[in-house]
Amino acid sequence: MKKTDIQTPFFATHLGSIIKNILITLILTVAATIAAFWFFRHVPENPANIALVYITALVLTARFTTGYVYGIFASLVGVICVNYLFTYPYFALNFTLTGYPITFLFMLIISLSISTMTSQIKTQGKVLVEREKLLMEAEKEKMRANLLRSVSHDLRTPLTGIIGNSSTYIDNCNTLSEKEKLDIVSHINDDSNWLLCMVENLLSVTRIDERSMGIATSLESVEEVAAEAIQRLQKRLPNAEIHVQVPEEYLLIPMDAMLIEQVIINLLENALIHSKSTLPVELTVTDDSEYVTFKVKDYGIGISPERLKTIFDGSPYTPDNSNDVHKGMGIGLSICKTIITAHNGKINAFNHEHGCLFIFTLPKEKK
Amino acid sequence: MIPKSSILLIEDEENIRSFIATTLKNQNYKITTAASGTEGLHLCASLCPDVVLLDLGLPDMDGIEVIKKLRTWTSTPIIVISARSHEQEKAKALDYGADDYITKPFGTVELLARIRTSLRHSSQMNAGSLQQVPVYRHKELVVDYEKHLVTLSGEMIHLTQIEFKLLSLLAQNSGKVLTYSFIMEKIWGPYVDNNNQILRVNMANIRRKIEKNPAAPEHVFTEIGIGYRMAEADQS
Repeated sequence: MKKTDIQTPFFATHLGSIIKNILITLILTVAATIAAFWFFRHVPENPANIALVYITALVLTARFTTGYVYGIFASLVGVICVNYLFTYPYFALNFTLTGYPITFLFMLIISLSISTMTSQIKTQGKVLVEREKLLMEAEKEKMRANLLRSVSHDLRTPLTGIIGNSSTYIDNCNTLSEKEKLDIVSHINDDSNWLLCMVENLLSVTRIDERSMGIATSLESVEEVAAEAIQRLQKRLPNAEIHVQVPEEYLLIPMDAMLIEQVIINLLENALIHSKSTLPVELTVTDDSEYVTFKVKDYGIGISPERLKTIFDGSPYTPDNSNDVHKGMGIGLSICKTIITAHNGKINAFNHEHGCLFIFTLPKEKK
Repeated sequence: MIPKSSILLIEDEENIRSFIATTLKNQNYKITTAASGTEGLHLCASLCPDVVLLDLGLPDMDGIEVIKKLRTWTSTPIIVISARSHEQEKAKALDYGADDYITKPFGTVELLARIRTSLRHSSQMNAGSLQQVPVYRHKELVVDYEKHLVTLSGEMIHLTQIEFKLLSLLAQNSGKVLTYSFIMEKIWGPYVDNNNQILRVNMANIRRKIEKNPAAPEHVFTEIGIGYRMAEADQS
């Protein structure tokens, strides 16, 4: 039972392509015959037209079918029809006319060479697609390797802090003052929050991998996603000041809402923490016919041009001034890139006069 | 001091259990803990707690099963504790009769707010749902159920029939998350199809009428993949 189940579709597609080829051949030869009749009636002075019509049909047949059989069939039909219908004596086969075998031979050569060319073009196309796929795979693989590298770096830092602080507390419980104890615990709290944020990022990446090829999207409202992202961020950073603007129109975009929220949160958090500025961060969503654009803009110190080039690569950030080592932008942005790429969107970073600007786009649903 | 209310916590993770128990004890709740679903069901039957906090990932049985079993005999509010990014699981728990959910990791403030909301709703239910407060008030927004009137900073807001029904349903359950399927059934009847697009478009329209900025809502919040939650009414 199962075996037939598997074989049927294969057989069906095979049969389908045969039927398609036969249909193409028949339509083209019939059309050629009709055209030939027209020429025969209206332009009888130039019988060469009729042969040309059949050659055209033959070329097209060879081009649009797979395999040699159909082209050969079309050339046969052409030769026979010209002989039977359009040369004297009409409605009778007469292969004794001089040069007829040569005509047939030429038509055969044309059909064979066109068929060969067609199948060559098709194989080349397949090879190209194959190569493209391999390149994509390599790209993904590279991204994953980068991610792993930055993860191990970024995870170790807060964990070291948590372990160190908590063991200090346990070992010196009796000698520490209340103030020192509070300090230690709040450090642990900070580090765990940072760790949580990172784990959430990593979890979102597993959401992509789970469904091998990309992500499961559903239509989500842009304003709802933006609102929830901000709400979640403000739970963690209650003092964050974010100005948000969405299009007046109700917009639905195919996406994995959880992942896009993660991207918005990462970008906003970067803007709030790394801009070294107390000015509010702006999130603007605009509707640009083919896609929707999200912009996160801050008014801070900006990003150095060298850093800008590799900002989405996930390479651990080694800043010039070492006071930022703790909370590098490491994995957050490379995860943003992974997520947006999986959505067939684009993400870019720029500097503007007073800070930096991150832009990502998501394609709209195809009508 | 008399303990406020009794709470049963069903959670298998020792660390989380002790953290929640300590927090709630400090808030003067009477708390009992259970480490497995079976133990939780027994304790619930013998103690009849005012609120049940239930972790969905239990070792011995599925959290959804616990909800189903509890719902056969009690209407005690159940607050589900679950990990993020499993929206479907949460929606399922709510549709099987859980009252609310809270996502790990959560802060104390959030947990206490959820418990308060659930307690308030259950006491209202016990007093008879007809004795509802006639007016919902939150910041500048006022929904008057009887007069069919919605005002924002004193100005009247024009809503369609459906929009008003939706808003009052949310307001009557303020503080609590309502799932898409629950709202759809309440507003459009039990035979409506699964497509919730119509609900979301209506919500978008309401948002444009009552929120200053639809992307930074103050009154109605979206829980993506699950439903909507209206801000808790101001205590008057």
